[in-house]
Amino acid sequence: MEIPYYPGCTLKAKATALEQSTIAAFGALDVLLKELPRWTCCGAVYPLSAKKIAGLAAPIRILREAKIMGSDTLVTACAFCYNVLKRANKEFGADALRKKRINAYLADDVRVDEVTSEKIREWPEYVGEEDVKVLHLLEFLRDRIGFDKIPVKKQLSGLGVAPYYGCTLLRPAKEIGLDDPEHPVIMHDLLRALGAEPVDFPFLNECCASFLSLIRPETALRASHLILSSAESEGARALVVTCPLCFYNVESRQSEIREQYPDFKGMPVFYFTELLALGLGVSLDCAVGWKEHTVDVRGLLESAGLMDRGHASLGLAAQEAGRTLGAIPGPSKR
Amino acid sequence: MKRIGVFVCHCGINIAGTVDVKRVVEALKGYPGVEHVEDYIYLCSEPGQGLVRDAIKRKQLGAVVVAACSPSLHEVTFRGVTKDAGLNPYQCEIANIREQCSWVHQEDKGFATKKATRIVKSMVEVVRLDKDLEPIRVPVTRRAVVIGGGIAGIQTALDIADAGHEVLLVEKNPSIGGRMIQLSETFPTLDCSQCILTPKMVAVSRHPKIEVLTYHEVVGISGFVGNFKVELLKKPRYVKEGTCNLCNKCVEVCPVVVPSEFDVGLAWRKAIYLPFPQAVPSVYTLDEKSCLGLDPIRCGKCAEVCEPKAIEFDMRPEVFDVEAGAVVVATGFDLYPMSKLGEYGGERYEDVISSLEFERILSASGPTKGQVRRPSDGKVPREVVFIQCAGSRDPENHKPYCSKICCMYTAKHAMLYKHRVHDGTAYVFYIDVRTPGKDFEEFYQRTVEEDRVNYVRGKVSKVFKQGDKIVVWGVDTLSGKKVEVKADLVVLALPMVPAAGAEDLFKKLRLSTNEHGFVQEAHPKLRPVEHPNSGFYLAGVAQGPKDIPETVAQASGAAAKVDALFSSAELLREPTIAEVVEELCDGCAFCIDPCPVQAITLVEYTWDGEVKKRVKVNEALCVGCGVCMATCPKKGIAVRNFTADRFLSMVEAMLED
Repeated sequence: MEIPYYPGCTLKAKATALEQSTIAAFGALDVLLKELPRWTCCGAVYPLSAKKIAGLAAPIRILREAKIMGSDTLVTACAFCYNVLKRANKEFGADALRKKRINAYLADDVRVDEVTSEKIREWPEYVGEEDVKVLHLLEFLRDRIGFDKIPVKKQLSGLGVAPYYGCTLLRPAKEIGLDDPEHPVIMHDLLRALGAEPVDFPFLNECCASFLSLIRPETALRASHLILSSAESEGARALVVTCPLCFYNVESRQSEIREQYPDFKGMPVFYFTELLALGLGVSLDCAVGWKEHTVDVRGLLESAGLMDRGHASLGLAAQEAGRTLGAIPGPSKR
Repeated sequence: MKRIGVFVCHCGINIAGTVDVKRVVEALKGYPGVEHVEDYIYLCSEPGQGLVRDAIKRKQLGAVVVAACSPSLHEVTFRGVTKDAGLNPYQCEIANIREQCSWVHQEDKGFATKKATRIVKSMVEVVRLDKDLEPIRVPVTRRAVVIGGGIAGIQTALDIADAGHEVLLVEKNPSIGGRMIQLSETFPTLDCSQCILTPKMVAVSRHPKIEVLTYHEVVGISGFVGNFKVELLKKPRYVKEGTCNLCNKCVEVCPVVVPSEFDVGLAWRKAIYLPFPQAVPSVYTLDEKSCLGLDPIRCGKCAEVCEPKAIEFDMRPEVFDVEAGAVVVATGFDLYPMSKLGEYGGERYEDVISSLEFERILSASGPTKGQVRRPSDGKVPREVVFIQCAGSRDPENHKPYCSKICCMYTAKHAMLYKHRVHDGTAYVFYIDVRTPGKDFEEFYQRTVEEDRVNYVRGKVSKVFKQGDKIVVWGVDTLSGKKVEVKADLVVLALPMVPAAGAEDLFKKLRLSTNEHGFVQEAHPKLRPVEHPNSGFYLAGVAQGPKDIPETVAQASGAAAKVDALFSSAELLREPTIAEVVEELCDGCAFCIDPCPVQAITLVEYTWDGEVKKRVKVNEALCVGCGVCMATCPKKGIAVRNFTADRFLSMVEAMLED
């Protein structure tokens, strides 16, 4: 199966682990994630201005690209991109005049034909959800593939992970509609399908402080500590997230959290696609593997008997998939 | 040719402020057939009516058009006036130039005047063709079916029966008593709910005019006001009333334990059970859903120990019809499911309970015998949080309406908690405290001032478990500060919603509801106890959230309406019903299926040696809705005084300038 895929900026920069594991895991599921040939930032935050014309232009341009690829679906792994694209898609259909104006604005785009190097100015009109549906990869797994159809090679039993949903994957519920914002279960269900025992905790849908991390880091530390310690007290040994910004707040800041809250010992955090890849028998323990993880995950994986070095490494699998896709740049030289 | 009189009302400035009444009068003068035109400031007043009456007599008018407000308001008045003046009342038509003209065109007086003139002319065309009609007389079955055996149904049944009419009180549960029997004390006087309700339950069961049909459901209805046929389902109890001697041996041996409905799941009952000690009728019921098998080979222990042989496994459901003249809907309420309130735990935490569960905990007959103990570990809670509007007044996520009784019962809950746990602390989170009722505000003030309950103005954002505490996060909007309470017990004031099964029942009875499923009243202010469909009356929360005093008042009101209906042996029905035009109907039968009241049948007859077909209207059933008229391709059926030629001449009059 081939499906157009929008990575978003963060997956190319701070969250390459999310992208690598996503491509590897879906490769193992025989799903080729075809990265859009041209894409920009989605805007990162859903436009809040009254008319939203400028704010909607970028996401609609991205969606139009999926339409040009001839698909009725666009998938994304990042919770923030998902939130912006899905809401923009819905909002776009609501106002016929604005729809016309944005399409007129986007019609000025110029693209260069890859073969003839000719400048092309013809664009299809983008209509809205009737054209392209935005699916988060969790949603895609649940609704298009089916959690019960995942060919699990390695049961993730004994991992004790707590799914942490954050905000943008769930809210505003009326526009996103992925799951019940107060009682989400989609990641629980995925983890169960992979043989893991999801740990429920009350802060699974509390905000991690999001962008406040930049201007008020102390708020982000407090929020993240609350989330991590709550999961810990419910017996979780790790957290699993979908969002790069959540990952940054609850994972990358853990050394600061430990400084501020000495009782907190640290807890590994996974992207959901990393656990999916593990369950599908893809080893992540090499090149790109756990580089972005500041908290050691190997100890936990070893204790759960999940560090099987015999499996194909993610590096190879991903690079193989990457070559076909032309999606993955060479290994980081950092 | 009919001599027609036209009377234009000013309705103060309601009409005359927008419509130039004098110009309308001028425009009608000389209109074909119009012999008399007159305007008056208030035609509905006594002098106004006299004006119409005198003109009919003086000018020997044969029909009148009254241009005034909606016919739903004063048609009856002016048809009465017409009748007093010696004409057939159906020779009077109302031209609505207020709701349909002056009120909606206030910004354009010229247009309003023109439109009013056209409306009046079109009604002149109608009245020109109107035929004299006589009301249809039908007999009335003086027996009422009251659906629902809670306080609303009980009070209605008693009041109708006391007036000397027969009542069938139908209750789907094994006992009457409804929600009120589950309550502990009642506000604002704190008298015990069971103590004041049980005398009424006994009175109902002993009343010679009332037949109590518990464990029965209404499954269908046909007919019309005064002449309903109600289809009832008798669910098998598997225990013979009268034979059972209440020895309780069956309950002792029954091996099946299920949550008790009466105790809202806080206690257990057996598969064979008496819902509560004062149940009416006092007889066990074997619940077939949880019984190990009505197949006596699997269990049958209860039948073995039953000395009077009252248990009969082969009872079957029975369906039977009863005739009734009126139906009272008193189906009551349920609470909105807590599972939908994820932000308050959504049923995940045992110590987050509904207000009805707290009623059972406070009740002397409840699972804790009235001691305040929390469900999870039976400890006496030291800190209790009450959350008001837990789903009510929340248009974004839950119910937009106010459930009306929660402010008062929460004050009562907090007060009773403090009376029983003196050193405990109670918090109430509220949006506003609404206490409009006799002695209600004083009661609430007592809760705050004497019982020292902490009222926090603000909503609760999250409720979660931490150790054995339930942590409540909220905001105090008066100080603007976040509030955290580590509570032992949290009580949610959930919205009242129509009882489970009510939606289905209302569909069967063809009763309209509002968007939330509460059954519609004929007029929100002036006819609050009747449904727009005549013959149906409303009592209690089925119509909308209300407290006990209001429910009892409405029940008595509904009973008074039923008594008025039953006061004569005959009923006059509107004669404006469908009539077959014999020369045009060819029996194609298109109209039969669309008829919403199944009033049309096909008849065959032989004429000139040939078999012919034609439809026939049952006068008793037809409601004059006109659906048949719209489906007939041959103009072979029409509602009296509502015919197609009238519409055509109305349209012509409208288009003339």
